Amino acid sequence: MSMIKEFSKGLIKENPVFIMALGLCPTLAVTTSVQNAIGMGIAATFVLVCSNVIISLIKNFIPTKIRIPSYIVVIASFVTIVDLVMHAYFPMLHKNLGLFIPLIVVNCIILGRAEAFAGKNNVIKSLADGVGMGFGFTLALIVIGGIREIIGAGQFLGYNVLPLSYKPVLAAILSPGAFLVMGLLMGLMKLLKK
Amino acid sequence: MKYYIRLGFVLLVIAVISSGILAYVNSITKPIIDENKRREKEEARKEVLPQATSFDSLTFLNGETAYIALDRDKIVGYTFVASLYGYSSEVKTMVGLDTLFHITRIKIIEQQETPGLGANCSKSEFQEQFSGKDKTEMQVDKDGGSIASITGATITTRTIASSIRSGMEIMEKKIAETDLQTGEENER
Repeated sequence: MSMIKEFSKGLIKENPVFIMALGLCPTLAVTTSVQNAIGMGIAATFVLVCSNVIISLIKNFIPTKIRIPSYIVVIASFVTIVDLVMHAYFPMLHKNLGLFIPLIVVNCIILGRAEAFAGKNNVIKSLADGVGMGFGFTLALIVIGGIREIIGAGQFLGYNVLPLSYKPVLAAILSPGAFLVMGLLMGLMKLLKK
Repeated sequence: MKYYIRLGFVLLVIAVISSGILAYVNSITKPIIDENKRREKEEARKEVLPQATSFDSLTFLNGETAYIALDRDKIVGYTFVASLYGYSSEVKTMVGLDTLFHITRIKIIEQQETPGLGANCSKSEFQEQFSGKDKTEMQVDKDGGSIASITGATITTRTIASSIRSGMEIMEKKIAETDLQTGEENER
């Protein structure tokens, strides 16, 4: 019961991007297309789940004073593992995401969940929290990426969805588009919450 | 005092375990990654000079090996990697040349330019226009050359054109120096 709660809160109610406003740098940077959004979401979810589990397991051995450096070492190790494994076994995906993978280390969702949740709760709950937050992050990326790709390129996942006569608004896939779309979506979420 | 030594020790243990795991993962993935990179470049070379059956290294250019392309013992062309910093990233292009120093084909092998603008350089429509051209034409149409620039990405187009031009100049000089036209010096 509580597991479902820990899982589902990350999707909408405590969505890391729209509600908690965490991890905005990678959100703005990778959402130029849905494909990038999915790749980044999956990679970040994997790191988040792994780091949440490990940190909740070792939390009793880590003195409070050095918990942040310890968390960072754990997270950075997982990111490097993801980077190497992806480079070796999924070179095509790595080519598209290569630039963003190191960004996961500084993604504050992961450190934020380690500090706020995994460091205080048991393994099962931390796992559910990690999966939920990861999915929430992925969902947010896909929504932003989808809107930007449709407006900015007339495509969704690389397929044309708008008539060819549609002239893409390039600004949507450049940096201003990222800020505008995210800001409007955040406002919409606030409005719906009322 | 004792407390602080314990803090350092715990961090040390965490760091040692992490680096041990990373070293292990690296030892497994490194050969695969190197092999992937090598194969990727080999495929790019075959793509720009499909008639070649083997490649012989000629020189180093932009940190990559430039090759002489051979069809049995006959020289059919040369390949090199052109590289320059574009608008937001290093743009690397595999270039194939025939024996008269005309471009056979090019293939962008690495770029992280702006999606929707500069990144369009990896589309085949853009790359095809390079085929058959020589070094004097390696300039954007705005600057008097014959490369049609990508809409909204003149800087990227300029980068590619000038990286190829300077690469061709170096290759021409190198090839004249080594005097390969006789076709005898292939063993190395």
